[in-house]
Amino acid sequence: MGIIASGIGKKIGNPEVRILSDISLDIRSGEFVALTGRSGSGKSTLLYILSTLDFASEGTVEIDGGNVALMSAQETSVLRNEKIGFVFQFHYLLAELTALENVLMPARKTGKTEELTAYARELLASFGLEGKEGRLPRQLSGGEQQRLAIARALLMKPRYLFADEPTGSLDSINSEIVMKIIRDSNQKYGTTVIMVTHDLGFARWADRRIHLVDGRIAPIPTTG
Amino acid sequence: MIFLAVRYLLARRRQTILTLLGIFFGTAAYIAISGFMLGFRGYFVNQLVNNNAHVHIQPREDFLTDHSLDLEFFGKSYDHAFWDPAPSGRKDSAIVEDPQAWYRRLAADPRVLAFSPQLTAAVIFSNGKATAPATIIGCDPLQQMKVTTIADYIIEGSFTDLAAGGNRVILGDELRKRLGVRLLQNVMVASATNVPIPFKVVGVFRTGSRFADQGAYGALADIQAVNRTPNQVNEIAVRLEDYLQSAPIASTWSSLGQEKVESWDQLNANIFEVFRLQDAIRYVSIGAILVVAAFGIYNVLNMTVMQKRKDIAILRSLGYQSRDIIILFFSQGVILGVSGALLGGVFGYLFSRYMQTIPFTGGPMGAHGAGGTLIISYDPKIYIQAVSLALLSAIFASLLPARAAGKLTPIEIIRAGAE
Repeated sequence: MGIIASGIGKKIGNPEVRILSDISLDIRSGEFVALTGRSGSGKSTLLYILSTLDFASEGTVEIDGGNVALMSAQETSVLRNEKIGFVFQFHYLLAELTALENVLMPARKTGKTEELTAYARELLASFGLEGKEGRLPRQLSGGEQQRLAIARALLMKPRYLFADEPTGSLDSINSEIVMKIIRDSNQKYGTTVIMVTHDLGFARWADRRIHLVDGRIAPIPTTG
Repeated sequence: MIFLAVRYLLARRRQTILTLLGIFFGTAAYIAISGFMLGFRGYFVNQLVNNNAHVHIQPREDFLTDHSLDLEFFGKSYDHAFWDPAPSGRKDSAIVEDPQAWYRRLAADPRVLAFSPQLTAAVIFSNGKATAPATIIGCDPLQQMKVTTIADYIIEGSFTDLAAGGNRVILGDELRKRLGVRLLQNVMVASATNVPIPFKVVGVFRTGSRFADQGAYGALADIQAVNRTPNQVNEIAVRLEDYLQSAPIASTWSSLGQEKVESWDQLNANIFEVFRLQDAIRYVSIGAILVVAAFGIYNVLNMTVMQKRKDIAILRSLGYQSRDIIILFFSQGVILGVSGALLGGVFGYLFSRYMQTIPFTGGPMGAHGAGGTLIISYDPKIYIQAVSLALLSAIFASLLPARAAGKLTPIEIIRAGAE
């Protein structure tokens, strides 16, 4: 179980620009991995390839033994819905839905809304959003919005949580709160976390750090 | 996804209402205009079918051709005979050549409900100093009443009074006014070749058609006497059991004799051409309204897809498929189409009910049978067409933006920086 990437490469655009080269890594189930590197180093691209949102130009990605490239669109959708949770730098909440409805969106896809409503309320309460279930995203603070987005990502009890700069748009206090939630989901529920971050302080919260330089895995710099 | 589609629509109420109004007005306008046009047309056709004979047997029309005179001059027709100048014009007959044969044929035909021989003559009516040229139809009144509904239009006297004979006449209301004559007074009737003969006015009719109301009816024998054409008729008006069979029966009868045989719809072919033109105008104008409405939906959905790119990325990352995204945007167009069509249908119906109360006393509609108000058709076909057209335009308008949304991949949106 886990994610195995072998010889991942990524080229985009015309003329082609190489973003990733020969990335091989093995992320074990229950691990907390931080992807670090400078802007443009390819860490976000790697995250999206590992999480099935993007495809590698070269190499293979296996999630729990299944080759992502060989999966049908429906299989990929089921994988994303049931096993993968996403947290982006920006909250990406649906503005027309209340906090509770936003959290329940993954359940709506599989018709499990009623079944998971109590759990959704529980998640919101544990993330300090009790009593705010009926509010629209614009009626919540930035920190609350990001916590809400994490609650949505964790609703289906995913095996993998992918986070792209989850604290990138938050102040230090809210960043700390969000990071604690992510770490708790890893430690309490065994969720495998793969997180892209610029913040070396938060990177140290991870079990392992993978550092990228110009699209390749590089040794962790001694200064950071 | 319908749940989210409804939320999207409710979230931008003003835009939704404006788009809805396009479909709403298109549907309502189609129903109101079609109801009015087809109501009038239905009434008009009904009048044509019921008021007049279904088939008219009239004297033959014989147009001269380049070889029409060959037979008389050479005993046979030659392709190499050329006339300079070539024969032209017509040598019609003014009367039905063998009316007795037609009477026997029509009496034996089970499809014929009734027939009425007529002699239509141009005469001059006079009453003192007032004179008026007019057309008078000589007929057997009892037969004429079976063939046409003229008796229903009698406003004074009775049509059957003609049957008593003895130079009686029933005048159209317009003609009566021009002559300034009252019931039971005498008017003088003169043909081009005869001295004026006094006729007693025993009735007045008003059909609402100015042209028809300038004519008159008399007994067949009396008019034959005035016209100095005893035993001659220039039309046999026939009423059939089934008026829809008029055209094929007329075609069959045409081959039986030299007479010109025309059905009511062949005789009024130009009117049906006008109806077809009306239909074309109706479809084009309503089509234009619905195209504009469809463009409204297309624009709104296109804009929504652009505005909701990050939502698409979120939904795809949550496991929603391309198909779900297509449904999300397509259903918005369909919801707008269905709501607009249904509301427009209801409003169109209510507006039609209102139009039916508008007084309209001019012309034939106001004069008889319509109760003096506009006649509106409530044919279900109108409503089905209106709703189908509205739905089709909404569906077509939604397809492209929905497909474009379905093709967007989450990574494209994230890379483009949806925020």
